[in-house]
Amino acid sequence: MSNLFEHKGAKGQGYSQPAPILPESSISLPPSLARKNHARWPRLSEPEMVRHYTWLSKRNFGIDTGFYPLGSCTMKHNPRVNEVIAQLPGIADIHPHQPEHHIQGLLAIFHEMQYMLEVCSGMDQVTLQPVAGAQGEFTAVRCVQEYFRLRGESQRTKVIVPDSAHGTNPASAAVCGFEIVEIPSREDGRIDLDALRAVADETTAVMMITNPNTLGLFEPDIVEASAIVHDVGGQMYYDGANFNAILGITSPGLMGFDAVHFNLHKTFSQPHGGGGPGSGPIGVKSHLAEFLPGPLVKKRPPLGDESQMAIDDMWYGWYQPTRSIGKVQQWHGNAGAVIRCWAYYRRYGRGLRTMSEHAVLNANYLRHAIHKATKEAGVDSMVRDGAEAKVAKHEFTLSLQPAKESHGISAMDVAKGLLDKGYMAPTVYFPLVVPECMMVEPTETESKETLDTFATHFAEVLQVDAETLHAAPITTPVRRVDEVYAARNLCLRHPYDDE
Amino acid sequence: MLAAMGMSSIEDLFEDIPAEVRMTEALPLPPPQSEEEILADARRLLGANVALGDRVSFLGAGLYRNYVPASVFQLVTRGEFLTAYTPYQPEVSQGMLQAMWEFQTLISELVGLPVANLSLYDGSTAAAEALTCSVRVHNRKATQKDTVYVSELTPPDRLSVMYNYCQGADITINLLRHHSDGTLDLDAVSAAVGSCGVYVEQPNPLGILDGGLSELKEILGENTALIVAVQPVSLGLVEAPGHYGADIVVGEGQPLGSPITGGGPIYGIFACSKAYLRLMPGRIVGRSIDVDGKVAYCLTLSTREQHIRRHRATSNICTNETLIALMGAMHMALLGPEGLHSLAVRNMTACLLAKQKLGEIGSIALPHSNNHHFNEFVIELPGSSQDCLAHLDTVGIVGGFDLSAWYPERKNWLLATFTDQTSAKQIELLVAHLAVWASAQGVSA
Ligand SMILES: Cc1ncc(COP(=O)(O)O)c(C=O)c1O
Repeated sequence: MSNLFEHKGAKGQGYSQPAPILPESSISLPPSLARKNHARWPRLSEPEMVRHYTWLSKRNFGIDTGFYPLGSCTMKHNPRVNEVIAQLPGIADIHPHQPEHHIQGLLAIFHEMQYMLEVCSGMDQVTLQPVAGAQGEFTAVRCVQEYFRLRGESQRTKVIVPDSAHGTNPASAAVCGFEIVEIPSREDGRIDLDALRAVADETTAVMMITNPNTLGLFEPDIVEASAIVHDVGGQMYYDGANFNAILGITSPGLMGFDAVHFNLHKTFSQPHGGGGPGSGPIGVKSHLAEFLPGPLVKKRPPLGDESQMAIDDMWYGWYQPTRSIGKVQQWHGNAGAVIRCWAYYRRYGRGLRTMSEHAVLNANYLRHAIHKATKEAGVDSMVRDGAEAKVAKHEFTLSLQPAKESHGISAMDVAKGLLDKGYMAPTVYFPLVVPECMMVEPTETESKETLDTFATHFAEVLQVDAETLHAAPITTPVRRVDEVYAARNLCLRHPYDDE
Repeated sequence: MLAAMGMSSIEDLFEDIPAEVRMTEALPLPPPQSEEEILADARRLLGANVALGDRVSFLGAGLYRNYVPASVFQLVTRGEFLTAYTPYQPEVSQGMLQAMWEFQTLISELVGLPVANLSLYDGSTAAAEALTCSVRVHNRKATQKDTVYVSELTPPDRLSVMYNYCQGADITINLLRHHSDGTLDLDAVSAAVGSCGVYVEQPNPLGILDGGLSELKEILGENTALIVAVQPVSLGLVEAPGHYGADIVVGEGQPLGSPITGGGPIYGIFACSKAYLRLMPGRIVGRSIDVDGKVAYCLTLSTREQHIRRHRATSNICTNETLIALMGAMHMALLGPEGLHSLAVRNMTACLLAKQKLGEIGSIALPHSNNHHFNEFVIELPGSSQDCLAHLDTVGIVGGFDLSAWYPERKNWLLATFTDQTSAKQIELLVAHLAVWASAQGVSA
């Protein structure tokens, strides 16, 4: 089927509009303002448009289509009631500039989310403004930067990240203007304290790290690492992308961190929408709280007339931190995403710990099942753990390096083979420290049957000969896409006939 | 499952977490709820809010309450779109990849520039990233190094985002003066020659369509990026900035495809000319072929991005606003060129009628009324906008935006907004109540 611009169907508009309030002739734009030529947009009827996007949707794979074990992305089920809630006019039809007395219910939910994230993370103050994990990183590092400026410690120009860190960590710190110091991980993928000691000094501003780390392993030396950084006067930053592993069990606060971002869309199931939207709130300890972007939500008992509109006898209002870095998004962040995540959190409430327990159980079980299935199929020599560990947390890594060496089968080949089995492939080639890496995260919302079947299919893929696997996938809407061709023959928009 | 792993308790899975960092108490949170209970609570809490549709609303100031056709919501919640993530496996992500490549084309045609990415977080971050991008591209030849110029009318919250994103690269942001009629002072723009970028908005934050902006590129020359922020719907009537020399076009995509939703999730538009392509932020889809030579789409030029380039990336963005951009694409696909034109006419004539009617009230003034406006304009009141808005609120009208929040000395400036959702009746209502309130001010003064 064709692209949107090749439809040669009906002329006209896909939906009818009321007549304008005044005749069009009442508008008289001068030549310096008036548009001369229409955008060359397609002209589709509603049924044509509906078919086009329905057809496209069938060429796309989501969690609803099948198992989506994409490591580091926490692709858990997205409950549909959350979509119903997000369409309620009390959020969909709210303007961020409405006065406080118009949005008490929204502010109450914001406050509840700030509080929930504070108690789960051991931080003192949360802001919901950042709209994705990367923006949370940027915001928190900015706060630390201003904190040091105020203390006259502008010589702290460096941010330390492990080589296993997600790309956004160094990128976010760089946007703030910091120099990046990358430290190598140990053989087993964990943080190398000696390497950290060697670089931590009075120029260190922040160390950014995620725990469990990007290999899905808990860093047992995290308290020691925090101490090393704090001893030289630096701050500890927690990348919360892997928060799904530890809710109610431990917290960044207990591990000694000063600031944290949450990938709310991951841990609390805002649908990822093919790439976004997300939500990336941050939490900080009290010494950083007044630097946060404003406004934050605070509550107090209602005064006078307010009691009529108060929610459960509380009045919610905006609070502007006194040394705020300002804004990182013009409005109040991705409020609609926060609402969906609130609905997800409410399913667990104080039982959030069971969510993490099930996520960790599923990950360990799947790791076990894959090893068992590959052994039974006699292909266990083709795959090994990305890092030695008795237990993983919510995700784990595998290395296909042996398969590459013995059979010429790469992690990408296995990924494409899994597509043919009807799965989304795990994350490949991240973290960079594991050769031929495959990173698997099943989440808590998958059943044992799904995990068992996936393990069996995984072992089956490893039994396929290299040549066949190189040609995979064959059952998908298109076969292997030539990314080099795309980059060499840039075609970034529809080539109109006259171009 | 535990038994299969030779474990006896779920605790065994957490033995690697040292005791010293363990939580010792249960989370101080309420008990779990069922779907029905959550929905009931959501209805109670969100129902306590005043939705704009419950009132007569004239509040815009950067976000606009347009009608979004029903099929957009129906289609965008298809699970294959909704529950997917970044299309790193293109073979099973052709649907979203193609839809985003089409989005790029729709935006490219709309703004008159050859390249568009598949969204940034919102209009403010798109504007901020445009500034840093302009410095990356032009700094080498710039005579005013690390320097950009921004309209002084830019709302402080947007400006604040720009400062946050620019400070790390030591970029100086200077402000550009405006005349008292609200248009840009073109003479003052010569000060920006030799800088890396100039940022203006069309319509500007006061709703003014400023014809002078079409002369900017000639003043600035090739070595300074002209960055124009747009209200995309206005481009059904107003010239596309790419056609008068804009190098980068950004904007709040929201009026196309998305409800306001408290200010997010919405999507930021980012489009540019080819010269900026390799240093621009965000994801881009390219059309390619598969091994059989079939048309296929994939992410391209990824070497600009954080997952490959790490701290040398052109931006730190990873998760973006794809799904909301998809809503925008669907809305645009339904509108077609004539539909967009009609939508722009409806928005602009609503504003025009309001201007005519409000202009008849003697006790208020319209300080910039000699200009063409899109969506909104300033009303100068005989008292404070704060008082006026409080009064209108008591009669069920959300009267607009108190501009003293942007320009502290403008206590009496109200920004009133009119969209395709504004009826003649609503305008009459506003006029009637404003007239009464304004004349009462005269009496008490
Ligand atoms: C470990 C890690 N850190 C940070 C991020 C960035 O988050 P976001 O994509 O929401 O910006 C991600 C995910 O994409 C991640 O996996």
